[in-house]
This record gives sequence, C-alpha cells and structure tokens, in this order.
Amino acid sequence: MRSLLGGVTLAGLVAGLVMGFAIAPREATQGNVQRIMYLHVPSVWVAYLAFAVVLVASIVYLVRRAEAADRLAHASAEVGVLFTGLTIATGSIWGKPTWGTWWTWDARLTTVSILFVMYLGYLLLRGMIEDRERGARFAAVLGIVAAFNIPLVHFSVYWWRTLHQPPSLVKPGPGMPGIIVTALLVNFAAFTLLYAYFVTRRARVLRLEAEAEA
Amino acid sequence: MADNWSFVFAAYGLAVVVLTAYWRFLVRRERELSEGSQVLREGSGMSEQARHPSP
Repeated sequence: MRSLLGGVTLAGLVAGLVMGFAIAPREATQGNVQRIMYLHVPSVWVAYLAFAVVLVASIVYLVRRAEAADRLAHASAEVGVLFTGLTIATGSIWGKPTWGTWWTWDARLTTVSILFVMYLGYLLLRGMIEDRERGARFAAVLGIVAAFNIPLVHFSVYWWRTLHQPPSLVKPGPGMPGIIVTALLVNFAAFTLLYAYFVTRRARVLRLEAEAEA
Repeated sequence: MADNWSFVFAAYGLAVVVLTAYWRFLVRRERELSEGSQVLREGSGMSEQARHPSP
C-alpha cells in the first residue's frame, strides 16, 4: 500500500514537472521565472493542509486521548514545517528577480514566518518534555492555538497593503489562462500525495519509536 | 523581462535536495527501528525458549 502511494506520488511529481516546464507556456509579464509558482504555491497549500490536520488531530487527541491522533499531529506538523520552510525559501528566490529583493517585512512574508516559528516551537516543545503523555497534551493545545495563524496568513494580502499578490486562483475577475491553472492543479494533486506519503511514513516511524521506548 | 532561469533551477534544485533528504531520513530511521524491533523480538523469543526449554 505504502509503495503504491510512493509510486503514484512519484508519477504525480513527474507529471507536475512536465506540466510546469513543458506544457504550461512562458508567462508574458514575468517570463520563465514564473514557473517557480508551480512549486511555491503547492508548497504553501501543503503547509495549510498539514497544519489543519494538526488542528483536527490535536482536538481528537484531547477528547479521546488516542495515541494515533497524537502521532498524526506530530507527523503532520513536521511535514508542515518542512513545506513552510520550502515556501519561504522558494518565495525568496522568486522575489529577488521580480521584486528586486530577497526579503521584505511584508504582511504575508511576516505572517508566514510567524507560522513557521510557531510550529517549529511546537516540534521543540514535543522534544523538550520527557513525559510522553504530558508532552502530547501540551503540544495538542499549542497545535490548536497555532492554527489561528493560518487564516491570518491567507487573508493578510487583503487586510494589509502588501507587495505579495493576492491568491491567483480565487481572485475575482479574469483569472489565469486555463493551461496554467491545469498545471497548477496537477502540482497541487502531486504535492498533496507527497504530503500523504510523508505523513504516513513519519507516523509509522513515530509508532516504531514509541514501541522501542516501551 | 529576463527569464532568470538560474532562479528557477535554484528553487527547484533546493526543493529536490530538501525533499530527498527528508525522504532518506524517513527510510533510514524506519529501517533502523524495524531492525531493532526484530532483534528485540528474536531476543525475547530466545529468552522465552530458555525459560521453557523444549524436550
């Protein structure tokens, strides 16, 4: 089952690369550097998804004390931090040729950095507390509180004047050409599969670690 | 606007390195733990045998 998911994920990633580099056309305003979008936007989607899963799994853990929910929250937070870091790095690389700077304290960039630091803190908190049950309980509370930052990140481009563009897929008026939207959606699907693959493997590792400690 | 291919390759290259490194970490850790639990199972099986030797 896991190797099937891995195979489908790999095929999805290859399809995403083909769509992003061979099928989607060169963007008229930005040129080929816009192709970073097929990496940057699905990365932030995975980060949102991962932290939403942390929120749900944390609530389930606090209500039912199910260790599987705690492991899911832990695994999802780790993968979320990985993809948030990737989002920040690829955004910075994209920002240099388009905005003329690697970094600016813009509302979107600042809120996403806070998101990154909060979940990094979540992972550090888990590592700091020796009592597994106590650590899981504290982490679940932090996992719920930190999720309030997700809408702040998403809507920051509407609530404040920012350099960052608003969401391209859901903005009103004429949108992106169909082929660019298709390429983006293929990459969304591929990155979602990659998220599922990573979380499945990480959750299994966490279960094996718990068994080894017991 | 210039195409800035170097930035495109830098972004994708970074993603490949980071994601591959994480995947390798997961595979390696899972293998270590699986082997460890196998050794433990075999060890406990042996001690069980020692406690109850078969005729």
